[in-house]
Amino acid sequence: MPDTPFFLQLSRRRFLQGAAAAGSLGAASALGLRTAFAQEPEKPAEIIVRAWGGSWVEALKAGVSDPFTKATGIAVRHDLTEDNEIQPKVWAAVAQKRVPPIHVNWDTTTNATKSALRGVTEDLSDLPNLAHVTDLAKPVGLDGYPIVDTYGYVYVLAYRPEAFPDGPPTSWKAMLDPKFKGRIALYNDGIGFHFPAQVAGGGKLEDIPANMQPAWDFIAKVKEQEPLLGEDPDFTTWFQNGEIDLACTISTNAREAKKNGIDVAWVVPEEGAKFDTDGLWIPKGLPENELYWAKKYIDMAIGKESQQVWLDGLGLPGVVPGLTPPADLVGDPSYPTKPEDFEHLIRISSKIQVENEADWFGKFKAIMQG
Amino acid sequence: MPLRPSRSAYPLSWRVLDALEAGARGVWPARFARGVPWLMLAPAILLVGLLAVSLFEIADASLRTLDTATFLPSEEHTLANYARAFSEPVVLAVGLRSLGGALLVTLATLILAFPYAYAMVRTPSAAWRKTLLIALFLPFFIGQVVRAYGWLILLGNQGLANEILGLAGLGPYRLLFNYWAVLFGLVQYMLPFAVLMLAPALSAIPEEVEAAAGSLGANWGRTLLHVVFPMAKPGFVGAGLVVLTLTLTDFAIPAILGGGGQDFIANAIYDQFFRTSDQGMGATLTVLLVLVGSTLVGLVFALFGAGTLSLRGRGP
Repeated sequence: MPDTPFFLQLSRRRFLQGAAAAGSLGAASALGLRTAFAQEPEKPAEIIVRAWGGSWVEALKAGVSDPFTKATGIAVRHDLTEDNEIQPKVWAAVAQKRVPPIHVNWDTTTNATKSALRGVTEDLSDLPNLAHVTDLAKPVGLDGYPIVDTYGYVYVLAYRPEAFPDGPPTSWKAMLDPKFKGRIALYNDGIGFHFPAQVAGGGKLEDIPANMQPAWDFIAKVKEQEPLLGEDPDFTTWFQNGEIDLACTISTNAREAKKNGIDVAWVVPEEGAKFDTDGLWIPKGLPENELYWAKKYIDMAIGKESQQVWLDGLGLPGVVPGLTPPADLVGDPSYPTKPEDFEHLIRISSKIQVENEADWFGKFKAIMQG
Repeated sequence: MPLRPSRSAYPLSWRVLDALEAGARGVWPARFARGVPWLMLAPAILLVGLLAVSLFEIADASLRTLDTATFLPSEEHTLANYARAFSEPVVLAVGLRSLGGALLVTLATLILAFPYAYAMVRTPSAAWRKTLLIALFLPFFIGQVVRAYGWLILLGNQGLANEILGLAGLGPYRLLFNYWAVLFGLVQYMLPFAVLMLAPALSAIPEEVEAAAGSLGANWGRTLLHVVFPMAKPGFVGAGLVVLTLTLTDFAIPAILGGGGQDFIANAIYDQFFRTSDQGMGATLTVLLVLVGSTLVGLVFALFGAGTLSLRGRGP
């Protein structure tokens, strides 16, 4: 693969021409593609985008994939292999100089950062729409744009209102109430819970990662409550089947459960809640023409029109200014839009998370499996 | 009587076979005859060879640590992953849980499989035999994951079991997401394997032997204890080995019915490969699992023989 940013060389001028003619960035992308059709690299029959299933992929399809197909004629196939499982496949493909199994990876920023550190990601600095995004899109602690972060999300405390007749829980310590023994749930790797546990355990966020004993002490107390440990879909199932009353989960899952008629609500407790980002990246080793169109896909994903539809579906704040929040999330603490909205949210850099993830995971497992 | 012309002297099929034989002789002359057994073994050698190469690769990976600055394995070889595996209590806890679970599941499965296999082999009714065989094979058409999810539905807080208990004014009880739920799911999954391994051994015991024991005064229980069980030993050994090794390496049932808190060693290996991206540690746990499993199988072979796995239906 050439090191030169051929995407920039091939299309920047056409994009600018299209933008001038159409008068808007979204229209510019589509028009630019049309006017430049004859000169653009050969179109593949399809591109493969790894995605999470359920409402996640439906939102991506509506906001990005379908408009991309409409604008380019290139079909988008969604590969629902788990993000953790596609990672070694992509790493192996790049190491063996094979064509990777996907064109675009929709990934957590932490996972994506590992791939960037390993050097398997293409540079995305030349995407035209990067000129219009907020700082949230820029991965922290990495050079350039090996990943483009596309939205933020919050690990909220989701609860069954019926179990809280006196009002919603205000603290993560609600998990320690004996009446919820066996009726609470966390992610099976503890993700989303370490940082609020640090605060709930009496520690300070500034001590992360040097001293996280308060977090481990609090998690050990939670272990005594016999929590269920699972993945995104498990939380919905458990709430639906009446197995749990409280869970630390991404607000999107709680909102989706609510949309499906399950009685679930959520709060950002007084100790705060973890805020993190997901992003899109392209593995190295694609043929040049496919790399070009994969970049087009990501560029479209950070366009305002796509962000509005995609993130309406997910109920998450995007990286483009001026997006309209979904009506049910206006003022919701899990949908931060203003600086003051972030005051109760905990954000730790991806670098620290990546460097310490294995240790944290080991400690969490040692507590939960012990 | 004149001879028929040679082209029509034999049926076409004979001539085709002659041609094939001639072709085969051209490809594999008679002087290579001693190599025929090796030729027949070639696919197996290829498969085992691939397994051996993979194991070598895994063993090599187990000697490399993860550099979290680059997420690449180290260039140099080290025993650090093994030292970590032996020093982390969680590895020991998960390992003992897997081993204990495998032994309990094997015991429970053999106890349940014997009456089923015995009834299937000894029933005089062909219809019953077919019914039992169909019931045995049906679960094979349903994957392990689907069966585990079936138990989630049946044993959940709002599942059939709790509904029935509710009719008696009991519960709901948490029947899932604990060690016993995992073992229960594993026994249900392993039962058909054990019956299939036991049935040939029981078929090999002539009914007349049991009748002879009875005619000599042994009641049904003594016949079972002193005649059937000893003669069925190869079946128990074969079934036990299959169930033990499959349970020891199982992933899906502990993951689904354990609620995330009852991991077996395969779940821990998955975590290292796919969650922390530490392929070296994952490979280390894999090597240890292979060693423990092989040692167990070797012990059983040494103590009881290979059972029906020896393909002779007899012990040593």
